[in-house]
Amino acid sequence: MSSILKKTDLGAWAAALEAEVFAPALADGVWAYQPVAPGANDGGVALTHPNTARPPKNFAFPQREVLYTFEQLKGQAPKLTETLPNPAPVVVMGVRPCDGRGAPRNDMVFTGAFDDPYYQSRRAKTAYVGLACNTPPSPNCFCKAVGGSPSSKEGLDVQLTDLGDRYHVVAVTPRGEELIEAGGKLFAEAGAADEKESQRLHSEAAKCEQRTFGDLAAAAPALKKNFDSEMWQSLAKACIGCGICTFLCPTCHCFDISDEVTGQSPMRGERVRTWDNCQFPDFTMHSSGHNPRETLGARLRQRVNHKFLYFVENNGTQQCTGCGRCISFCPVGIDIVAVLDRMIQA
Amino acid sequence: MASTPTQTPKDPSVFEPRIVAFLCKWCSSAGSDLAGVSRMQYPSNAVPITVMCSGSVSPVYILSAFNKGADGVLVSGCHPGDCHYLKGNYFARRKIFLVQKLLSFIGIEKDRFRMSWVSAAEGAKFAQVVEEFVRDIRTLGPQRKLKAKR
Amino acid sequence: MVDIVNIRAHAKDLLEKGTVKMVLGYQRGTAGVLAEPAFITDAGQADHLVWDPTCVQNLALYLVNEKKAQSHQRDPDTRPIAIIAKGCDSRAVAVLLQERHFERKDVHVIGVSCGTLGVVDKNKLSKALNGRVATKVEPHGTDSFKVTTAEGFVDVAAADVLADRCLECACAYPAMHDVVFGEKHEDRGYPARFTALGQLEAKSEDERWAYWEGHFNRCLRCYACRSVCPMCYCPECVVDSIELMVDPTTSADEKANRIKWIERSAVASENSMYHLVRAIHLAGRCIDCAECERVCPVDIPIRMLNNKLEKEAKDMFGYEPGLDPELPSLVASFRDDDPNSFIR
Ligand code: SF4
Ligand code: SF4
Ligand code: SF4
Ligand code: SF4
Repeated sequence: MSSILKKTDLGAWAAALEAEVFAPALADGVWAYQPVAPGANDGGVALTHPNTARPPKNFAFPQREVLYTFEQLKGQAPKLTETLPNPAPVVVMGVRPCDGRGAPRNDMVFTGAFDDPYYQSRRAKTAYVGLACNTPPSPNCFCKAVGGSPSSKEGLDVQLTDLGDRYHVVAVTPRGEELIEAGGKLFAEAGAADEKESQRLHSEAAKCEQRTFGDLAAAAPALKKNFDSEMWQSLAKACIGCGICTFLCPTCHCFDISDEVTGQSPMRGERVRTWDNCQFPDFTMHSSGHNPRETLGARLRQRVNHKFLYFVENNGTQQCTGCGRCISFCPVGIDIVAVLDRMIQA
Repeated sequence: MASTPTQTPKDPSVFEPRIVAFLCKWCSSAGSDLAGVSRMQYPSNAVPITVMCSGSVSPVYILSAFNKGADGVLVSGCHPGDCHYLKGNYFARRKIFLVQKLLSFIGIEKDRFRMSWVSAAEGAKFAQVVEEFVRDIRTLGPQRKLKAKR
Repeated sequence: MVDIVNIRAHAKDLLEKGTVKMVLGYQRGTAGVLAEPAFITDAGQADHLVWDPTCVQNLALYLVNEKKAQSHQRDPDTRPIAIIAKGCDSRAVAVLLQERHFERKDVHVIGVSCGTLGVVDKNKLSKALNGRVATKVEPHGTDSFKVTTAEGFVDVAAADVLADRCLECACAYPAMHDVVFGEKHEDRGYPARFTALGQLEAKSEDERWAYWEGHFNRCLRCYACRSVCPMCYCPECVVDSIELMVDPTTSADEKANRIKWIERSAVASENSMYHLVRAIHLAGRCIDCAECERVCPVDIPIRMLNNKLEKEAKDMFGYEPGLDPELPSLVASFRDDDPNSFIR
């Protein structure tokens, strides 16, 4: 069963939800998830964004997380205080299908072999209301090449499809059903014509032209074979070793842990987890001064292999969801699709 | 430090500015000692940090003091022409000028960051510089803009 | 007008004769309309070189990287490197020479004049095209660009899509070069230098703080602005956490109490520290190529911080970076009549 929501009622729906609602808005020239102000129900929420610059991963995995606080009096054992988050429910609206597919991949990292209570407590309170792409929002989109589609529902709780003046709304999970229920009369039952129109848009979108590197199944073996290839150095020649491609990636999840000392006698402070990434010079720096991943070629290889080889070996699926951010935002045009293409051809 | 700055009673409801003072060992630090041994009265709000030369004060020290919660930062060195290392204070003058311009450009109150020339013989001047600084910062209130929020 | 054919021929000649080991230039990329850096070592590949208003990067960065790499090589090729340099880029080369990164004989500067134009700003371009995707940008006359999209050609006024820095550029003609392509134009007809800065300076203290606090708050600390800057070459930056050598006897106290000037947390206070340190460290060295601002994924106007210090250095100390490699640097020099009245 599916329903219809008038675009002008989007704000009213957001207001009806008992949660902090975020939606993409253009602020300081950048599309970013911004809190929806209560009372924005006069059409104040509009999903007209291409895709946000930053992915929505921070809702479950913030850039800074306090793990616990500590305090130590001279000569005594340190006292630790737990700071497990207990967040209010969050609803993120306008999530593109690629970013939706990022969520279950991050879940694999923080659930299972290692259960991460910080991630999990935030994730449990986060719901994603997705927006299908009628046309690819970026020339560097390649969701189809990595097994997704512009109308993928994976990882979403609700899927919206833009029908012009209204959305066709589908609940994907029980949490999604709750969200729609909370909207009450704002939602009307979708007619057969609406469902058909939605279907048509999805299949039109599936035919759109996108970037591709060919066969996804060929990627992992090609990367394995070319581990020692000279190509990595030449492909990464222009790389400046910044944090853009990883910080903006919906699935990059590496972090660092450090102690932030905030006071002496007694010594006290916080143990914090912050995003880190494999392109930084100190990421693999050993305390001896030796750096096993000294070159930018080795770091590019790590980024691509993690997504298309190691993650496949560990979790049975590739980690990249084809959002294209790392390509569009790279200062020097390093292009993961072109890299994979080269590796598969070689 | 042999100085005897005026002890202000600790009343938590009264704002007591915390000032970090980078003092050149060859002049201002000795000047502050002189203020002390001469039993001059001046506020005790400045935490002195003796440095080898005003020219050795890196901008990162100044910024870090603000980050750690200083309400004001003072750099004090030898008068032009008197530097123990001949040119250090001239270098400091340029650097400090730029730091001051940058801080005020981003919207930090200009009066929170000051430089002075105080020779080893100028105990009275040192006391006066600190007194004025404390007075000015008292009117500005606590520095919160650059202070780490934790 | 600069004809790429001439640049290619020159590059080819240099490589054939072996007078340089590499030509740093631009080539078409796959990621979008912007050109990407090219590292041409083979005369046969000189034809890959392109020159157009999408050649945004400041390639001087790679001169430094090459030099760093050389120090690890057993038997390095010490022939010069040729670099295609716009006006701003050539000034970066001059600053690097001033700081003795390499010598004049180590670099062959192929200057290209931006004439009355410059390079495009990707965001402005996409705005001017109303979201349509540009596939090619060519100069058209002296004040506009011919932009190709899937739907055809559009003529866009240069003033609408030129990068901010180009609009205020004071050196569109390379000051230092071995050869130069293109002509010098005295009056480019754009706003005067520091126009944008002046508007920001004119705001009140509270407004300025609100402005910067908002921007610092948004910073991701991805350090792209640092990594892309030719002058940010320190092997160990103040924000990197590699300065403490740890051995088995290093105690927890020592680790916790080591000097960390800036915490890793991307919060307003630490981000402000990063940006202020960065700006100060570039005083008298930044030549306003604005690469730092261009690469920022969240559009933080960091160029203004550098501009502020550039303007103060010019007004108060008569100092302009990147014009004369023989001059002492801004903070390692002084004049007796430097401002003194601000000191008590
Ligand atoms: S690797 Fe690149 S394209 Fe793939 S999900 Fe990450 S940012 Fe998007
Ligand atoms: S690939 Fe691009 S975005 Fe990633 S580190 Fe290198 S330069 Fe930065
Ligand atoms: S590039 Fe932008 S987001 Fe990244 S560190 Fe610099 S200012 Fe911050
Ligand atoms: S600070 Fe920015 S504008 Fe200045 S030289 Fe570095 S990258 Fe260029």
